[in-house]
Amino acid sequence: MAGLTIRDARKAYGETQVIHGIDLDIADGDFVVFVGPSGCGKSTLLRMIAGLEEVTSGDISIGDRVVNDVAPADRGVAMVFQTYALYPHMTVYKNMAFGLIQAKTPKDEIDRRVREAAKILDIENYLERTPRALSGGQRQRVAIGRAIVREPDVFLFDEPLSNLDAALRGQTRLEIARLHQRLKTTIVYVTHDQVEAMTLADKIVVLRDGLIEQYGAPMELYENPANKFVAEFIGSPSMNFFEASQEKGGFSIGGKKVSVKLSQEVNAIDIGIRPEHLKQTTKQKAVLSGTLDVVEQLGDHVLAHLVTGQGNEFIAKFETLGDIKLGDTLHFDATKENIHFFDKTSGARLV
Amino acid sequence: MAKRTLPRLLQAPAVLLLLLWMLIPLSMTLYFSFIRYVLNSLRKPEWTTPSLSNWRGLGNYEYVLFNAKDFWFAVQNSVFIVTSILLLTVALGLAIALLVNRSFPGRGIVRVLIISPFFVMPAVNAVLWINMILDPVLGLNGLAVEGLNGLVAGLREFPLLGGFFSLWPEIEPISFRATQTSAYAVIMMVTWQWTPFAVLIFMTSLQSEDQQQKEAAILDGANAWSQFRNLTLPHLARPIAIVLMIQAIFHLSLYAEIEIVSRGNGNKNLPYLIGDFATNNIGAASATGIFAVILANIVAIFLIRMVGKSLMD
Ligand SMILES: Nc1ncnc2c1ncn2[C@@H]1O[C@H](COP(=O)(O)OP(=O)(O)OP(=O)(O)O)[C@@H](O)[C@H]1O
Ligand SMILES: [Mg+2]
Repeated sequence: MAGLTIRDARKAYGETQVIHGIDLDIADGDFVVFVGPSGCGKSTLLRMIAGLEEVTSGDISIGDRVVNDVAPADRGVAMVFQTYALYPHMTVYKNMAFGLIQAKTPKDEIDRRVREAAKILDIENYLERTPRALSGGQRQRVAIGRAIVREPDVFLFDEPLSNLDAALRGQTRLEIARLHQRLKTTIVYVTHDQVEAMTLADKIVVLRDGLIEQYGAPMELYENPANKFVAEFIGSPSMNFFEASQEKGGFSIGGKKVSVKLSQEVNAIDIGIRPEHLKQTTKQKAVLSGTLDVVEQLGDHVLAHLVTGQGNEFIAKFETLGDIKLGDTLHFDATKENIHFFDKTSGARLV
Repeated sequence: MAKRTLPRLLQAPAVLLLLLWMLIPLSMTLYFSFIRYVLNSLRKPEWTTPSLSNWRGLGNYEYVLFNAKDFWFAVQNSVFIVTSILLLTVALGLAIALLVNRSFPGRGIVRVLIISPFFVMPAVNAVLWINMILDPVLGLNGLAVEGLNGLVAGLREFPLLGGFFSLWPEIEPISFRATQTSAYAVIMMVTWQWTPFAVLIFMTSLQSEDQQQKEAAILDGANAWSQFRNLTLPHLARPIAIVLMIQAIFHLSLYAEIEIVSRGNGNKNLPYLIGDFATNNIGAASATGIFAVILANIVAIFLIRMVGKSLMD
């Protein structure tokens, strides 16, 4: 078992720079999730850790060994691919044993490890089948099993659940969480899905265009996003943003003035409030008012899409809608710590 | 049931035509193989027209099997030539396909050049090879041997070392029209012509190979050979089976190359032997034809089993 250190790692394909200098410290045993929009370099960074992509410059260390020039198989990592990448002509047993056979592990040791992994993942009954004869979820578990038997220092997952249907995804997510609790091995996990990120991660890395926007625990990112990008990316539905006009001693977004004292002098700011933090109130106390435009019923809660007088669209989350009708004007308030201020030009959060 | 009647009726003419196309020549061959039928006979002019009154029973077969001197030689040669070509084209095809599957500058042109031998006519291919490459005097073969002999002769002039080289014999160029070697000439030229076919089929298949499986294997510590052995080769099982089957069918009926290399001297296969007989003895030619059909069927059953197996898994 080992942690992972990345120092000023860069990656370029010819002229195009994809990773622009990443510094990251992952503690031994942490479950770290990379999130970010498509094309931001999550997979590339993961593949650099695995050794499937050369590092253009910078260092990657596993434990206290720099692994830049170490062959992928000798880095002590195991990877689970999005498409599973099982060996189609081998049985499930052989698929899991393959890495150990390459490493010339004794037969009975291989057998012990494969059967143990199969037991953990509940695939004991399929060991003699080929991957073709398995369902998507079973294949996924074989792919995880293939990683487990190698007893790596670091597990790498690249969007392992994105080929599964919603129900199975939830179930497998839970199994991965359990697996981590049981093995306590360092895991680096790439995903698009921010529910996966929030629920699985000890720490989340938010990437954009090959740079880290923020690195921290899920709730830290949720409560104290470093900038507008992270604020928008973490949380579902996304945070609402409003253009604010400056007034003496505070800002206004069309309703009551929000009095706040910012540490920096800025000209224009955006105010962000999460849909779940908007509370209905009277017209006098309201920070924000809007006309109800569309309603999305989601069973346990309701998402109301509203438009402010200035034409700014936003979402509010309700338990139930009560007797409110489309076209009604609603008034909202939010507690101070739930109102975020962002510099309009840089996107940085202001406190 | 009624649903099937119309399609069947519509298919019937084509099926019937194909059946006749096959059955008529086959039954004529069978018929001729049981009678005495020759094109020229001064002694027995009645044998020159096919008729049931010339019935010979299994006589033609007996003659071909036990009295005609070239039959067993031709069977053996047929099998030898076909298996050699199959082995060589698959091995070379695999090697070349793997080489050109990487990216390198000029790959497009190289690929077109590699495919081009396949578009040369068999007879032209044979003429070019036997005259320009394999000819012991004027061909590349002769020139290379001459050059080598010249080199060794030059080295003999040196003091000291010369003594060593004077022990070397003069090399004789191999004549590929001779009895023992003409089959090798045929194998070489057909291999040259058909390797591109194998390359083409293997290349398309290699393109569809899953790269993530390779990466998984790299992470599992598999070296290049182990990746080839455990991933690429099983992936290519089906295309290999197809290349084997199609080529076996084609090469059992080789003719032009054999004719051009040595006119059948020392190198006959079954089709060539049939051609030999057919200059006069149609009965024996037909009996040999039936044996050729049997041989082709044995090979086909064997190959279809193999292809079937590779299609199964
Ligand atoms: N071989 C390559 N050559 C050139 N550019 C590449 C290559 N591979 C990836 N890229 C570029 O690198 C960037 C990052 O790609 P990467 O696959 O890491 O994105 P990602 O964050 O995993 O996206 P997704 O969420 O869609 O999987 C993309 O802009 C992509 O176009
Ligand atoms: Mg990706």
